[in-house]
Amino acid sequence: MEFTGSDNYYLDPELGAIVNMALVMEKPLLLTGEAGTGKTQLAFEISHSFGMPIEVLRCKSTIKGEEACYVQDTVLRLNDARFGTAGTGREVNNFFDYVIWGPIGRAFRAKQRVVLLLDEIDKTESDVQDNLLDVLEDCQFTLREVNQVVQAEIRPFIVLTSNAKRELSDPFLRRCYCHPIAFPDPGQMREIVKLHFPDLEKGLLDAALAIFYDLRQRGYEKPPATSELLNWLGALQHARATPERLNIPFVGTLLKRTEDILAYRAGGKRPVH
Amino acid sequence: MFLTDFLYLLREHGIAVSLTDALDFYRGLEKGLAPDLDSLFLFARLSFVRRVEQMDAFERAFAFHFFGVDLPRVAPGDPALFETRQFREWLKEAIRNRELPPHALWTLPPEELMRRFWETVQKQMEAHHGGSRFVGTGGNSPFGHSGNAAGGVRVHGQSGRRSALKVIGERRYVEYAAEATLQGGNLSQALASLRNLVPAGPRDQLDLPETIDRSAKNGGEIDLAFRRDLLDRIEVVLLVDNGGSSMLPYVALTRLLFGKLRDRVKRLSTYFFHNTVYGAVYRDPWRSDPLAVDELLKRPPEVRLVFLGDATMAPDELLSPHGSIDLRADDSRPSLAQLRRLALRFPRAVWLNPISRDSWREVHGSLTIARIGEVFPMEDLTLGGIKRAVERLNGARVRGR
Repeated sequence: MEFTGSDNYYLDPELGAIVNMALVMEKPLLLTGEAGTGKTQLAFEISHSFGMPIEVLRCKSTIKGEEACYVQDTVLRLNDARFGTAGTGREVNNFFDYVIWGPIGRAFRAKQRVVLLLDEIDKTESDVQDNLLDVLEDCQFTLREVNQVVQAEIRPFIVLTSNAKRELSDPFLRRCYCHPIAFPDPGQMREIVKLHFPDLEKGLLDAALAIFYDLRQRGYEKPPATSELLNWLGALQHARATPERLNIPFVGTLLKRTEDILAYRAGGKRPVH
Repeated sequence: MFLTDFLYLLREHGIAVSLTDALDFYRGLEKGLAPDLDSLFLFARLSFVRRVEQMDAFERAFAFHFFGVDLPRVAPGDPALFETRQFREWLKEAIRNRELPPHALWTLPPEELMRRFWETVQKQMEAHHGGSRFVGTGGNSPFGHSGNAAGGVRVHGQSGRRSALKVIGERRYVEYAAEATLQGGNLSQALASLRNLVPAGPRDQLDLPETIDRSAKNGGEIDLAFRRDLLDRIEVVLLVDNGGSSMLPYVALTRLLFGKLRDRVKRLSTYFFHNTVYGAVYRDPWRSDPLAVDELLKRPPEVRLVFLGDATMAPDELLSPHGSIDLRADDSRPSLAQLRRLALRFPRAVWLNPISRDSWREVHGSLTIARIGEVFPMEDLTLGGIKRAVERLNGARVRGR
């Protein structure tokens, strides 16, 4: 079993080696890096390439942690207690008739090895992270209502991503293998673009990449990332336009903030740098 | 043993290696995860480095231990090179070997010296592409040469991957090192640790005990009760010294800090002052729209107070009543007294100083820096400084220093 990337995903060999090390060591893999470096995509590629199902928890700042494991549908149970369960097949006294499993719950109860993706874990509160820590470490959690432990038979392969909006705690980091994904260099970017636009003219690509990396250097508030580049190339190809440095066609696909576009129109750098 | 020595070297470089990490690391080696030096580099980094600030230190330690190359902690092109031990040692050595004239430091242009230094490093690195100190350990290598690991997992081979030396040579993480001065990229990383937890959300959480309670009282009819959710909300007051020319070089950095702070906090108000705070701060950079300090003191004590200034001025401006050089200011109380009032009201406050900590004792203004430093914890604008500042703002105990 070796992870080597797939047809429409460019895998940096270094990253591939790291994924394999984490798989062997059964350690959660925490990927950090700016948007557009393919952190989330990687988990889906691992799932795809090994044929392992994937469970995804998209973290929000309001999440408590427990609902990632399970929730009890209390309103339904209250309703059943008041109005009866005739014809529903549920039994009010049976707790398990009212459990809705969250992604972590489903991953632990799975009969085969799954990929468990906790996306943008940094959005959660630090005490939520601490709660999740033990759950992920031991691969088990307790159903509080019936005091019953759910234990994973097969450890899922856990992938966490973070945009570093908030810093993760030391104990949390200690439990994981951490890897910051660097922004693709021009060579790698060429490979990525090739996967999406196999028949792009070389001259066009060279010019576009030069402009793209130049824009990223300028210290805009939101520098263009991979997805912006791909959208832009799509627009260029569609309109058969050639990119020019001083008058970039479809600049709105690359720069998203008004201030950035204005600064670009004003001829260059933002005064920040 | 050769590898254990490396773990101790990591500790010397500020990377805490726990026993668990070390055991896991050896377990991985037994599974054949590091059949070659490049894999070892990756696996050791994965096992011991948790934060991007430690990456550069790790790479330097690795280069030193396995290739015998002693890298300075600055990137090529950075003039801070001249202050590093590695540069001084190299200079001494080069002069002794007559590769450089005796007073090279004064006679050669600095760019030339820098270039010569990095060329030497480059040569050292290249010399190791064939035989390295690591290879020189002969048959004692602890790594299985078979790439087949337990469980039928084959570790990625050499193909296409850049060698450890090449990766180290790029110094990709040097700007993230804790001693690095702030730039766009690493700033948000530091500010990311700002956080707070107070109840502030809408009442949208079902309060189950209360619901059952109320439903029972209601004769069994369901009566749903809701409570407030916990939400992040943090309020920051930023006070910026924009007077005179002394802050000019830091304006760009200041603005950067602004921009980044805006993403991180729910409410940020910015006020300006000239050199230090007297009876009022100002809502605009031209200091025409004053806000009395008494008004500022009415803000709740949870407010985080961040000063940004070089704290450099004539001692009278800080210590004497009527010390302001600005005639409009209400300065009947000495500025230091005003600062003390602010510090008393807002315990979570910090003074950020763009002057590097190492020069605080020497620069013009060292006296006022020291006096203000007694009132507010002062940190410099390095990554490490910002991190400690944020810890102070969070009210946590501050690590280090």
